Order: sequence, then C-alpha cells, then structure tokens
Amino acid sequence: MAKQPIEIFMPPNMLKAKLGGTVVGLDMAAVKRAEAAVESLKSEFGAWIGADVARLVECRDAFAKHGGSAAHRELFRASHDLKGQALTCDFPLVARIAASLCHLLEQTETAPLSLVDAHVDGARAILRDDIRDAANPTASALAKELEARVIETAGA
Amino acid sequence: MSNYRFDRLRVLVVDDNQHMRKLVATILHGFGTVHVYEAARAERAWDMLHDCNPDVILLDWIMEGMSGLELAQRIRTSPQSPNPLVSIIMLTGHTHIDRVRQARDVGINEFLAKPVSVKSLLTRLSAVIENPRPFVRTEEYFGPCRRRRNYAEYQGPERRTKLPLAAKLAEPDAA
Repeated sequence: MAKQPIEIFMPPNMLKAKLGGTVVGLDMAAVKRAEAAVESLKSEFGAWIGADVARLVECRDAFAKHGGSAAHRELFRASHDLKGQALTCDFPLVARIAASLCHLLEQTETAPLSLVDAHVDGARAILRDDIRDAANPTASALAKELEARVIETAGA
Repeated sequence: MSNYRFDRLRVLVVDDNQHMRKLVATILHGFGTVHVYEAARAERAWDMLHDCNPDVILLDWIMEGMSGLELAQRIRTSPQSPNPLVSIIMLTGHTHIDRVRQARDVGINEFLAKPVSVKSLLTRLSAVIENPRPFVRTEEYFGPCRRRRNYAEYQGPERRTKLPLAAKLAEPDAA
C-alpha cells in the first residue's frame, strides 16, 4: 500500500487575530498585575507546602507498607509535585530534596526505604524549621548528602 | 508592550494538583484572562473540550489515569477531537532532553518547566500567539512541525518515516 504523503500546512493564526497585540517584548503591565495576584496568594503557600509534604509522608507510608509499582508510582508523583511546588512556595531546599527523591524513584523501582525516609524526613524538618534560605548550612549539607547517596545508589 | 486582549482568551488548565491549578489560574486572571477552565484529570478535560472550546490548553504531564501525553495525542489524532489544532503548552518538572522529545513527538507546542512563574507563562503564551509553527501530517504524527527553526533547511535525521507513534508510546520508558 502506498505511504501517506507528508502534508505540511500553516493554519490561520486565529489566536493572533483574536488577541491582537504588537510584539515588543513582554507586556510588563500584565506581568505586574499577575505578580500582584500571585503576591496575594502567598499567605496560602505555607498551607500548600504543608499539604504537599503531608501527602509525601502518606505515600511513603503506603510504599513502606505495601511496596509494589502502584505505591512506587504514587510516591514518585508526590515527590514530583513537591519538586514543582516547593520553589514557588519559597522552600528551595525542599524542592532540591524532592528532586533528589524523584531521581532516585525514577531510576529504580527498588529504592531503599532508608534512603526514601531520609529524604522525607529531611523535607519535613526543613518545613518544620521554616528554612527558606537555600544557603542554610545544615539543610544544604543534608541536601548535598542525600543527592550523593542517590547517585551512589541509582547513578547520575 | 504587547497589549494582548487576554480577556478574549479561553484557557483550559489540566493538572491534578489543585495548588498548581490555582497558581496558574491566578496568573492568568492577573493577565486579564476571564475564561479559565480547570480539570483535575485528563479524562475530565477531554469531556470538557467541546463545551469550553479553549484556545490554549495548559497540560500537566504526570496525572493519575490518562497522562498529559496521552491526552495531547488524543487531541491531535482522535476523530472525535473538537480541535486538533489547539495550542498545547505542557507543564512539567521533567526537563531532560528525552522527555522533551517525547512530548514534542505527541504534538506539544511549548514547554513550561515548573516552577511556574509569571514571566515564563507569559513568554510561552506569547510564543504560541506570535510564532505558530506549520502543522505536519504523516502516517505516524500529526502536530506542530518539530523542526522548530529553519525547518525548510533541516538537514538532520529523517524522523517522519520511523516507528508509528503508538509503538513509540508503548516503549517501556515512555510513561
């Protein structure tokens, strides 16, 4: 049977026709309005990150209790969400630890529970002590150590 | 200054994390977008497409049930899709090149790496408004041209004759 030919076409730019606008860099007025809107959300960020870390702990408990790929997948999703959210919520070291945990879980289905626990406990401790400074010596040393252990276990 | 009429824009935000949806919706409202629709699951988003008729879909990658990749592929290729040409921006914490390629291969227009910021979201929206790419239809792909720059002068490997998309998605590392 003959192969379908390659078809290339440029659809009409309906979005541009609808929204208009002239392009000379970003619309800084829109940026300022949106940044002000995000600023008004910041009072909720503590509760958001608290909920995300609590979910991570729940998923860790289920992973420890049941194991298996479903629990592994849920734990990965929880750590992945935390990685994406923690920086927004001004907890950069929680984001770094969550990224390290994601890497561990992505590389191996048989992640050692002790190493998973070290990440979860680290994230909880940073949140409990309200450490928002990425250069905090104790917390950054912890993050560095966890990253090194993950590389030893799962590779770079 | 771009001065887009964001009040005319219709956006569907698909993410199973309610905080991420709220953050993105807040930024969009800040731009002046009035019509922001939210779905916590890809299956729900698919059902909503006919009614909300979005101009842009902001789509998370990893979700319970149908993934963002699967939804994007369905939007591009299903005969039931109400708008296979809709702009899709993928929200993701994955920034590894292999992951970017996977998303590109199901027809994503743009990537937005988490954490989401006001400027990064506006930059991606501006990209889909100002720099739309031609669409390509082959046996195994339908979506924006993956040869983002100088596609007419492309001299890289010929991908348009390789494995069908369904086979690629079935590969073990495709999840």
